[in-house]
Amino acid sequence: MGNPPAKLCAVVAGSSAWAPGVTTPEELEAWIAAPRALERDGHPQAKFLPAMLRRRCKPLTRIMLTAAYGCCTENELATVRTVFSSRHGSINESIGLLEAIAESKRVSAATFAHTVHNAQAGLFSIAAANRQASSSLAGQEASFPTGFLEALTHLNRAPQRKVLLVTGDVPLAETFASLIDEAQVSYGTGLLLASDGEGPGVSLALEPRTSADAPPSPTPWPAAFEFLRWLHSEEPDLTIPTQRTNWQFRRAD
Amino acid sequence: MVNPCRLAALGMVNALGASADTVAPRLFAGDQSGMTRRDSIVPDRVLYLGEVHGDLPPIPEALQKYRCRNNAVSLAALRQIEGTARAVIDAVGRERVGVIFGTSTSGVSDAEDALRHQRRHGILAPGFDYAQLEFGGGAGFIADYLDVCGPTYTISTACSSGARALASARSLLDLGICDAVIAGATDTLCNLTIFGFSALQAVSSEISNPCSANRNGLNLGEASALFLVTRERGGVQLLGVGESSEAHHMSAPDPTGAGAETAMRAAIADAAVDPSDILYLNLHGTGTPLNDSMECAAVARVFGVDTPCSSSKPLVGHALGAAGATEAGFCWLALHAAAAGELPLIPHRWDGVRDPAIPDLRLVTESDTPVAATHPAVATNSFGFGGNNCVLVLGREDA
Repeated sequence: MGNPPAKLCAVVAGSSAWAPGVTTPEELEAWIAAPRALERDGHPQAKFLPAMLRRRCKPLTRIMLTAAYGCCTENELATVRTVFSSRHGSINESIGLLEAIAESKRVSAATFAHTVHNAQAGLFSIAAANRQASSSLAGQEASFPTGFLEALTHLNRAPQRKVLLVTGDVPLAETFASLIDEAQVSYGTGLLLASDGEGPGVSLALEPRTSADAPPSPTPWPAAFEFLRWLHSEEPDLTIPTQRTNWQFRRAD
Repeated sequence: MVNPCRLAALGMVNALGASADTVAPRLFAGDQSGMTRRDSIVPDRVLYLGEVHGDLPPIPEALQKYRCRNNAVSLAALRQIEGTARAVIDAVGRERVGVIFGTSTSGVSDAEDALRHQRRHGILAPGFDYAQLEFGGGAGFIADYLDVCGPTYTISTACSSGARALASARSLLDLGICDAVIAGATDTLCNLTIFGFSALQAVSSEISNPCSANRNGLNLGEASALFLVTRERGGVQLLGVGESSEAHHMSAPDPTGAGAETAMRAAIADAAVDPSDILYLNLHGTGTPLNDSMECAAVARVFGVDTPCSSSKPLVGHALGAAGATEAGFCWLALHAAAAGELPLIPHRWDGVRDPAIPDLRLVTESDTPVAATHPAVATNSFGFGGNNCVLVLGREDA
């Protein structure tokens, strides 16, 4: 396979991560040197958020906003386009509301408003005074690479503007967790992508899979963490297999 | 954007009908008889809902994990374009066709049933699968149904999801990674949104009355609108996309309409047209006091007060995540009809009582005649919770 078109390339101008036990750049470096399964529960305090706003932020929001703020300057926070990618988003809060409705309890308007899949993007926009285009998406087990692709579309449409890709999830409510084959962990990553400038260049190519291919097995840590591990390694390429696609990341200098 | 983006085929289902062909005459007549009165869902409250009526197609046996009402409504829309889509898939290859879906509910109503079963019997309803509930499942279902393996994901940005899905489809075509995309959105009625919007005091007990001094809220609806999107010239084109975030509030728009104005101006600039080229504007027009006042103010600043506009929500309700795709579909129906040289307009159904506090926009009446036009362009507004705005400009190239 030849090199993908230039449009499928980006420079990683900044990166960050948060998970229980991976809370600082030093701890991330240690994790990259010796990757291990992430822990299930935990969230940062996110003290950079105003107290009023922070009170409304659930663990997933605190994790994703911590990752977002970890890879942008103050000016970038307000001027980047954003893509927020999460398989489950705020679905646990929706399930909580469904249980309240079933028991004829009062539904909280504020809680409901925060169950939208773009809750983290909306709260980021408010916290960072960011008025740029913003996508929130979910792609089942391919949520990280589809988010990366969506970020590339934003770079293509507005090449002069950096794109912040934030990926994250928290464990799914117990009722539904047994239905999926996935490590139940709390994590978030931030990637600041640019069309040029300083930082490692990365290209993306998509290789189709067929139903004859063996289904990808669950990974010990989330794809977004695997991408960060690869980014800081010497390995020339990284393949993330998902049901329909092998997502092939390669260094592009 | 240099590449063309053709909305080559449309399938839709909503309170006005089960196909694009049956919806169109009722839409341009301003028919409100699709709205259904319900008084036993929320205690002591009358609701009007835009329900999808009639039987839905069965989910194929091999895709049972996706069996839920949301996907059945998607399938009802998808089957209308299936023949055209499969011909394109055969021509370009399954890896060159993507699926960009929008939803804000996914299969929540089926999750409600599954949880009810769990309370009674201690286990989730048999046959319930997480793929029905997770947002990404709506895109996965369509991809597996058509057996395509291009990029497949769900955009969920509340009430702008459907418009954003079309925007992302155009972007993927422009990246060159796909030759065709199935794009659009589906939302279905569920207790979560009915009780949630009721808690927000945003639901009217009458049919919604957008822009009126007497407006007092929205009606919820359900719908699907799915397009086959290609990188071809001709027919109905997605000409421009404008987006903004509000940085204001999770569930209320900026009352000045600044975010809406930014998105409208960006869409017009992206389409490389002038505001005066827009012959019709489909308003977000929910009928809530705050949306309509900020939206009308923003529209007046961008377009003045002479551009014909209307809200189609009094005909089908507010289908939330599917609203942007449904209303793009309504614009598509108008532009499709404009092949004959005249653009039909969608009447604005309301009580006719002007609100002196908001600009007096040129709202389409039932007695308006179609507008003569050779290359008409129209626009549609979508504004979502979290302050996520997306405006689309559609046009006809070969009328």
